[in-house]
Amino acid sequence: MSNTERTELKARRVAFDWSATPLHWLPGDPATTHTINVLHLLLPAGERWFVHVYKQVLPQIRDPELRKDVIGFIGQEAVHSQAHDDVLPHLAELGLDPAPYTAQVDWFFEKLLGDRTLPPGRPRQWWLMERVALIAAIEHYTAFLGDWVLNAEALDRRGADPVMLDLLRWHGAEEVEHRSVAFDLFLHVDGGYRRRVRTWALAFSALVFLWQRGARFFMENDPTLVDGRAGFRAFLRAGRQGVLPSAGAMLRSVPTYLSRDYHPSQECSTAQAVAYLNSSPGANGRPQPGGPHTAAASGGALR
Amino acid sequence: MTRADTARTAAVLALTAGTALLAKRAMGRRIERSPLWPMPALDRPVSGTMGLRRTGPDRSERTVRVTGRHAVADRVVQLRLGAPDGAALPDWEPGAHLDLVLPSGLVRQYSLCGDPAEADTWTVAVRLTDDSRGGSRAVHEQLHEGAELRVRGPRNRFPLAEAPAYLFLAGGIGITPLLPMIRAVAAANAPWRLVLGGRTRASMPFLDELAALDGGQGRVTLVPQDEAGHPDLAGALAGMPPEAAVHCCGPAPLLDAVTALCEGERAPGGGLHLERFTAQPPDAAGPNHPFEVELRRSGRTLAVPADSTALATVRAACPDTAYSCEQGFCGTCRTRVLQGPVEHRDELLSDAERDAHMLLCVSRARGAGQRLVLDL
Repeated sequence: MSNTERTELKARRVAFDWSATPLHWLPGDPATTHTINVLHLLLPAGERWFVHVYKQVLPQIRDPELRKDVIGFIGQEAVHSQAHDDVLPHLAELGLDPAPYTAQVDWFFEKLLGDRTLPPGRPRQWWLMERVALIAAIEHYTAFLGDWVLNAEALDRRGADPVMLDLLRWHGAEEVEHRSVAFDLFLHVDGGYRRRVRTWALAFSALVFLWQRGARFFMENDPTLVDGRAGFRAFLRAGRQGVLPSAGAMLRSVPTYLSRDYHPSQECSTAQAVAYLNSSPGANGRPQPGGPHTAAASGGALR
Repeated sequence: MTRADTARTAAVLALTAGTALLAKRAMGRRIERSPLWPMPALDRPVSGTMGLRRTGPDRSERTVRVTGRHAVADRVVQLRLGAPDGAALPDWEPGAHLDLVLPSGLVRQYSLCGDPAEADTWTVAVRLTDDSRGGSRAVHEQLHEGAELRVRGPRNRFPLAEAPAYLFLAGGIGITPLLPMIRAVAAANAPWRLVLGGRTRASMPFLDELAALDGGQGRVTLVPQDEAGHPDLAGALAGMPPEAAVHCCGPAPLLDAVTALCEGERAPGGGLHLERFTAQPPDAAGPNHPFEVELRRSGRTLAVPADSTALATVRAACPDTAYSCEQGFCGTCRTRVLQGPVEHRDELLSDAERDAHMLLCVSRARGAGQRLVLDL
């Protein structure tokens, strides 16, 4: 395998203090804030599901190095899930209760994509492999987003809340750090090209579907917006401004994953990710209490 | 277009329409009940509740105000704590403790010794210790009436066991978690005895209330060291019915002595329940004892040496055991415990989850030579 940047994967203990994070943590841009907030809706249930599936596939791994990576991946994903989960009560406190949406995402991952009652043997194995391939496709996008957020200087320039930015970049950096694991695992246990294409199409449509609906849900239920709407035009504009990934970059990521000689190690920079992880306040036991700077930034946006 | 083509198109259309109708019937009701079209929702949602279920540091933190302060014995001060707005505080049960975040940032655990029925007040009693590293001194010198402080909890790692009879053994300020237990046991008319040791009679708090609870039945034995030396633990244990539960709280030598007296065949039928009472920070782990884990599903029993962990031992036998942080915060190695006393050292699981689960990486059996039966 062409993965030259192998680092030992380890869950990091993180702490984030949400007490001073405003609802519109990207000041004056609720549409972008909520588009990124959809992460908090999808990731707690989604990453719990990753862990659930990977614990089942663990006994089928014959390569000890890969097993170590998968175990590290499981721990990191478990902590990601908890960290995003902790944002949800804070959103509810700010008047935007995410529960109607997250209850559906819970259903999506726990029931629809959960352990189906299948006869043991081939059907059960098929469903496990299908889910392993789905995770590899989703991880292609989490690494894409992780790389994007590590480099999204526009968010700093626009005064995004430092605690939220730290959560996104810590998570993004770990996604970049472990970007090869899901794909390596898929190659190890199955690796079929048709399955890769099929699950990519499924994962991509599900992500687009869930994401646009999450953004619309947030915009329509935001207590501070009179006629909140999430539109495709606003998304394209945010992409041009650099506060969201651009549509062009997203389209270009499609043939990358579908290319027959794709490997995640060809993209992103582990060095950049590790550098961020070593300096992240949340991942190094220095939770920012959201000092006066954040409070001032929140003033205009919401309270 | 030929006739056959038309017929085929019609058949495909009919089939599609039929499938759509069936799907609508199957999904319709679930979708209507769902708050957002067009996906069903999980009946009991999980997302957004992990933090509420967790009991690690700073999860249940709140501000309270000192609403009352009295000296209840020599060098012992009792604080009554209430919400600044006078609202009701979370419920607790006998044996629960509170983490006080002192003005210096030090965190110290103190058992709740008030009445659980008093919804707006938590009561703690704190002895000023000579070797205080700042905890009890800060309470005595800085927490005056009206002062505000942060607290966490309450959490209960020392619940009252169900038993037909009770023996309570307390050393000094170790009476605090036992007092609400004795009140509950006395109210339920269950037989009980208390042996309370201390340096001097004047240093023992709550003597009046204990005398009232006893009601002249001779159930309370006071053993002030300057008058009577050390309490006769063996005699107290021997005087109880075999099915009694023993609850003990006090300094380490007392707990060690009681543990030694209750080993093997002499173990009380209702169990030995210990609350270690030390000046250590709350999360400081006790000494590591060797213990055993039985993997029920694989039918194996493994010995965990004092210098190793349950996780390392289990992994040597089952290399596919998932784990990650090895520090008790990620939860990957969470395992169901079928039997055996667990000393939880993680900072993730809630008290309810601790009833039946442990994190293999940090938690151990409570006491040397104990066996934990795991669902593995």
